[in-house]
Amino acid sequence: MVAKMDKSATDLLTSPGVSSLFKSLKLKTKQQELLIRVTILFLVYVLAFITRLFSVLRYESMIHEFDPYFNYRVTQFLTEKGFYEFWNWFDSESWYPLGRIIGGTLYPGLMVTAALIYWTIRFLRFSVHIREVCVLTAPFFASNTTLVAYFFGKELWDTGAGLVAAVLIAICPGYISRSVAGSYDNEGVAIFALLLTFYLFVKAVNTGSLAWALASAFGYFYMVSAWGGYVFIINLIPLYVMVLLITGRYSMRLYVAYNCTYILGMLLAMQIRFVGFQHVQSGEHMAAMGVFFLMQVFYFLDWVKHSLNDPKLFHTFLRITVTCAVGLGAIALGVGTASGYISPWTGRFYSLLDPTYAKDHIPIIASVSEHQPTAWSSFMFDFHILLLLFPAGLYFCFKRLSDATIFIVMYGLTSMYFAGVMVRLILVATPAVCLISAIAVSATIKNLTQLVRAKGKASHSASGKGTTSSKASSKGSLDQSLPFQRNGAIALLLGAFYLLSRYAIHCTWVTSEAYSSPSIVLAARGAHGNRVIFDDYREAYFWLRQNTPPDAKVMSWWDYGYQITAMGNRTVIVDNNTWNNTHIATVGRAMSSYEDEAYEIMRSLDVDYVLVVFGGVTGYSSDDINKFLWMVRIGGGVFPVIKEPDYLVNGEYRVDKGAAPKMLNCLMYKLSYYRFGELTTEYGKPPGYDRARGVEIGNKDIKLEYLEEAFTTSNWIVRIYKVKPPNNRSLKCVGIALLISSIAVTMSYEAAKLIPTTSSELWLCFHLGKARSVASPGFEKLI
Amino acid sequence: MPPKSETQPSSAATVRPDHVYDSIDPIFHLLRILPFSFLRPPRLRLKLPNLTLPSAMTVYSLILLTYFMVVSGIVYDVIVEPPGIGSTQDRFTGSVRPVVFLPGRVNGQYIIEGLSSGFMFVLGGFGIVLLDLALDKNRAKSVKVSFASAGVASIVISYVMSMLFIRIKIPGYLG
Repeated sequence: MVAKMDKSATDLLTSPGVSSLFKSLKLKTKQQELLIRVTILFLVYVLAFITRLFSVLRYESMIHEFDPYFNYRVTQFLTEKGFYEFWNWFDSESWYPLGRIIGGTLYPGLMVTAALIYWTIRFLRFSVHIREVCVLTAPFFASNTTLVAYFFGKELWDTGAGLVAAVLIAICPGYISRSVAGSYDNEGVAIFALLLTFYLFVKAVNTGSLAWALASAFGYFYMVSAWGGYVFIINLIPLYVMVLLITGRYSMRLYVAYNCTYILGMLLAMQIRFVGFQHVQSGEHMAAMGVFFLMQVFYFLDWVKHSLNDPKLFHTFLRITVTCAVGLGAIALGVGTASGYISPWTGRFYSLLDPTYAKDHIPIIASVSEHQPTAWSSFMFDFHILLLLFPAGLYFCFKRLSDATIFIVMYGLTSMYFAGVMVRLILVATPAVCLISAIAVSATIKNLTQLVRAKGKASHSASGKGTTSSKASSKGSLDQSLPFQRNGAIALLLGAFYLLSRYAIHCTWVTSEAYSSPSIVLAARGAHGNRVIFDDYREAYFWLRQNTPPDAKVMSWWDYGYQITAMGNRTVIVDNNTWNNTHIATVGRAMSSYEDEAYEIMRSLDVDYVLVVFGGVTGYSSDDINKFLWMVRIGGGVFPVIKEPDYLVNGEYRVDKGAAPKMLNCLMYKLSYYRFGELTTEYGKPPGYDRARGVEIGNKDIKLEYLEEAFTTSNWIVRIYKVKPPNNRSLKCVGIALLISSIAVTMSYEAAKLIPTTSSELWLCFHLGKARSVASPGFEKLI
Repeated sequence: MPPKSETQPSSAATVRPDHVYDSIDPIFHLLRILPFSFLRPPRLRLKLPNLTLPSAMTVYSLILLTYFMVVSGIVYDVIVEPPGIGSTQDRFTGSVRPVVFLPGRVNGQYIIEGLSSGFMFVLGGFGIVLLDLALDKNRAKSVKVSFASAGVASIVISYVMSMLFIRIKIPGYLG
């Protein structure tokens, strides 16, 4: 903000007052533009942060959902014990009795980032709790993503598109859904890393500079450390390079950028223990390696063409080389795959290419609600106007094809396809959709404003200047087309602003209503419209923490594992990591069996407490009875004893009088509805009316033989049962043994009385009596 | 490799001896000796098809078609296999009435509702494209006017219909 001092000094001297002050602050156009840009970016930065704070303001600053609790627990461990303890941590409190190698089976980027922020703030002598840092990490990184989006838009199109992209991505619900305050999950940091890596790579391809390529490799390293979705980057970039090669855009810049990024990125990625050597061993990473070798072939051919001056000879050479290269590559791939060195695509990623695969083969993946395919309303909910702007933006990109726009088109198309396959991946598509829509908005508004400004200048001159475009407004045209052009353009501009304002209203409404619920605290509208809060989960976990022995083992469905370990501080059998399908199937089998079979399984796992979630009293629909069929399917996938049709009646899943007998007597049913038959839940309905299913339950008189009820929360949402130890049967055996031994002793004593007294007899009596006195205390107790 | 041995006989006879011995291709020489020293390839009039890359706008129209399918929820239709249109039975008269929008869930649809919403989105995008085409300087004025009005009409219809659909689908929308 440099004022023009030489000019304004004289002005100040000559004309005092407000006008001279204003003149002294008059900026040049470039500086005005810079000021406007900086102000907009600052406002967008603040906006992105504060729009994610709804749940902190409504409830409290707490961690949401399930997975973030594990991340929070790990971050706590990291800040307390240091990095080496964290990196070598073996956790025996989850997956009992297997344990889990935490240091080697997680992506450390999020935890290390939060710990670094925490240590920096502590260094500045602000004493914050690690929980506050964890809760606010995701909004902070969302703000940083808007800045990266601005630079990326500037690289792709121009600064106007960059600014629009920053605004769109700041409030887009697709991104907010996973980066709201309290959602302390990998995606919050990973989307920032993803966009940063893509921006640095496109910059490297545009400039051909080694520095940008190195920066891109480090961005890739950050992405690999943050999220398993890095596989998307390592497949999209080679695909992009292939498209550039096919369309004849091979250049030295591309060669430098790709080679440097790939090699250095691969080496850095191997530093993460969880990734290990997958970059050279896994089928999902082979595309990058193949393209790497193809680039070397292209470079070699280019060099030969340059040194060989005969085009015909070169064509022959080209044909030989390409054939050999393709042949060798195919043979290498075949040998690698056949020998098993290159592992095939894992189920998680293979189900993206073939969406029907998970439904038939891997029920765990198919059961997660976020993995369902996307319907049109989810798209509309998360994108609103951007769905209309996306095809228009693609059109503009195709009009002005360059290396950068080809990249964004490919990113947009591939990510939209994957977003169609799985709802969760709308998050990955959001930056691409925002950028492309920003291009459409920027180009359209530029066209319209050019009309307004050009005709504004020309309208001063003669009106017979009907040269260029004439857009008559829809209200009909008069002889003079020029003013109507201008009016029409102004009307369209106002329309564009109206649409963008509707987008902002929609985004704020969606954020407030749909994406700001902590999931661990439930809210509902009471009878008089007031808000009722159910804090049952935390109530149950704190009961566990304070009323059970420290080495107690808790069995529950895997959804709640992380929360139980983090808040209840007890060992669990299975948790959300779901790395061992057989262990989960064992738990599923236990939940779906009759009580005695389940008791055997629970004894074999050393289970002390069982936790179930029940929504029949409150009408909460995400409870264990609604998830029960998944337990059956997963358990039946490993143990064929459990058959799904046993629990259904005519293919229908019921819990009322007409339910299947196996359903009415399985452990899950008993634990959920124990004592529920006496409870009246709704006015005018019989006792035992399940509000979540909307039926009266079938089996109201439930007796538990091997478990006893330990705790039920105030709204009956979480119910905890204690597994009874097997004391009954051993006491019975001891009693029977004592009875038989007493009878034997008495009979032998009577028999011995008939034998003459000798020392041996005395010895016999003495020893038998001693045995009897030892046995008698217990025996007398039994009587 | 076969095309090469066919083009060789079809080139001029005088040039042939030089080309045969100048070739550096080992596979060509192998083939020349092994089957083709005693076999005589016939004269064919085959031409390799000229593979050219399609123009940008062709690719764009294909992409628009794919976008329409994805955004209509075709993957959801293939996996979950919902009916084309839902039905509900009127309690009092017993007649079966069709239900176009699947109620109750955000992530669920019938096939027809997905396709019609996808069409609306593509129509809106196409309207913006028409607006841009209307600003092209090299067209007749009447064409430009019709493009512009068609564009504005498309955008307005698409936006209004999309809002209507989402209001029907989610009863508590915006309020």
